[in-house]
Amino acid sequence: MDAMTPRQRFMAALHNRAVDRVPVASPTSVATVELMDATGAFFPAVHTDGETMARLAAGGHDILGFDTVAPIFSIAQEAAALGCGMDWGRKDWMPINTTSPFAEPEDVRIPGDYLEKPSIRACLDAIGILRHRYGDRVAVIGKVMGPWTLSYHARGVQEFLMDTVLDPDKARRFLEVLMPASLLFARAQIEAGADAIVIADHCTGDMVRAQNYRDFLLPLHKVMNRELSFPTILHCCGKALDRMEYFAQAGFTSYHFESKNDPRESMAIVNGRMTLMGNINNPSTLLKGSPADVEREARAAIDAGVQVLAPECAVPLITPNRNLQAIVQAAAAFGKKRL
Amino acid sequence: MPGVLDEIKQAVIDGNAGAAKELTNKALAAKVDALEIFQVALIPAMDEVGRRMQAEEYYIPEVLLSARAMRTSSEILKPLIAGNPNMKPAGKVVIGTVRGDLHDIGKNLVAMMLEGASFEISDLGINVTPDQFVAKVNEVKPNLVALSAMLTTTMMGMKETIEALKQAGVRSSVKVMVGGAPVNQRFADEIGADGYAADAATAANLAKSLVA
Repeated sequence: MDAMTPRQRFMAALHNRAVDRVPVASPTSVATVELMDATGAFFPAVHTDGETMARLAAGGHDILGFDTVAPIFSIAQEAAALGCGMDWGRKDWMPINTTSPFAEPEDVRIPGDYLEKPSIRACLDAIGILRHRYGDRVAVIGKVMGPWTLSYHARGVQEFLMDTVLDPDKARRFLEVLMPASLLFARAQIEAGADAIVIADHCTGDMVRAQNYRDFLLPLHKVMNRELSFPTILHCCGKALDRMEYFAQAGFTSYHFESKNDPRESMAIVNGRMTLMGNINNPSTLLKGSPADVEREARAAIDAGVQVLAPECAVPLITPNRNLQAIVQAAAAFGKKRL
Repeated sequence: MPGVLDEIKQAVIDGNAGAAKELTNKALAAKVDALEIFQVALIPAMDEVGRRMQAEEYYIPEVLLSARAMRTSSEILKPLIAGNPNMKPAGKVVIGTVRGDLHDIGKNLVAMMLEGASFEISDLGINVTPDQFVAKVNEVKPNLVALSAMLTTTMMGMKETIEALKQAGVRSSVKVMVGGAPVNQRFADEIGADGYAADAATAANLAKSLVA
């Protein structure tokens, strides 16, 4: 018998408190084709139907053994609700917005029935269903796109990135007009029963310099964390060692980081100001590697002191379940702690 | 007229499309040869942009602006260069983002950098099926096929495309290079690509080496 329930374990680790073993979480999607087949809940229907979304998410705990369930699989739920054109994909494709209709920040309108749009309502319903199903036994993770990622969707990635240089005030106005959409959705997820909210904001070192985060986004993230006053997890893919200091200043409870960042260096930078979760590589290890490869990376993260094990980002849909289960096995074998 | 050529080069490096257009027209009015502008100003400018990108002095916004400035100038020059026997492209490239993937920024950057390195580009866009790649290869007979994928969920589309090129009997006539956020050298080797580039600047160098 474990000393802690999965939810107790995850919530304690999220806040850097004592745990019986390192938890395994799904801050981004762990949906796989194997899980779809096992649960009978398939892409793309899950993205707009709360019941099937919850059923697929439940596989993350019931089948994979993770300590959390996370029902929001795509990054485009809000884009759809804001009026972007959508391709919802198919069983083995992630959805994506196909148009970015807003040339000016003043054109953006958050619809009065935003929370009732099908792509938003489904997420809220799914969180409620999962909360009811698991009670206080398993942690439920919610997720919203932050204002930077919403600006990519609303304005277009290239256009928004060029705005940051050519017209920084315009870029700021996009961020400011979209931040309320992130907050509105986050608050609704909290009310629906989420235990923690991932704020995915892709101001990544693969695209922009650290100063962009500091100058454009850090002030807004501080506001968001203050306003929500709730456990938050920043997700930002890619190289991030040069901006982790700023992430740590923003007031997040945790940062979900990628394998491009050395776990020991990352732990040294954040220095106890927030926890870290990650950073098992997706394409080489979880998709193409063996359970032994997964174990090796999981051990490296545990040895570095990373508080929560997780895939580095949304897993490829054809990732074999056995490799995701291998994270849980590694946590059980090597992540035991003394309470 | 080296002064104006230096100015065009600098305008492209600075990402100033307005200045690039004005200076290109100024150079042409002063009877500077269009091919000379291309070879002495634009190509070295994009070389420098690539260097700065690799040195992490430039990030995507700056590269996008430089590429836009380069394109502004090259659109003016292309009709004047067309048919010039001295204009020998470095090679022909068919490029696209593979099936199921609608991301185009990385692919666009690579296309722009290759164009800046004087490759002739056939850009198939996004969500390109293996059959569409094969059809384009048969049509334009390129030296290179460049495949992009931004998602771990779509990267296997690269393998499918390489398989389709084999099935169609054209794999041996082209070099295949791959890139994108989830892709690495190991993956490139596994799917039988000829080369992998981590970023757009490296892609231009890789393309040159593959056709050398």
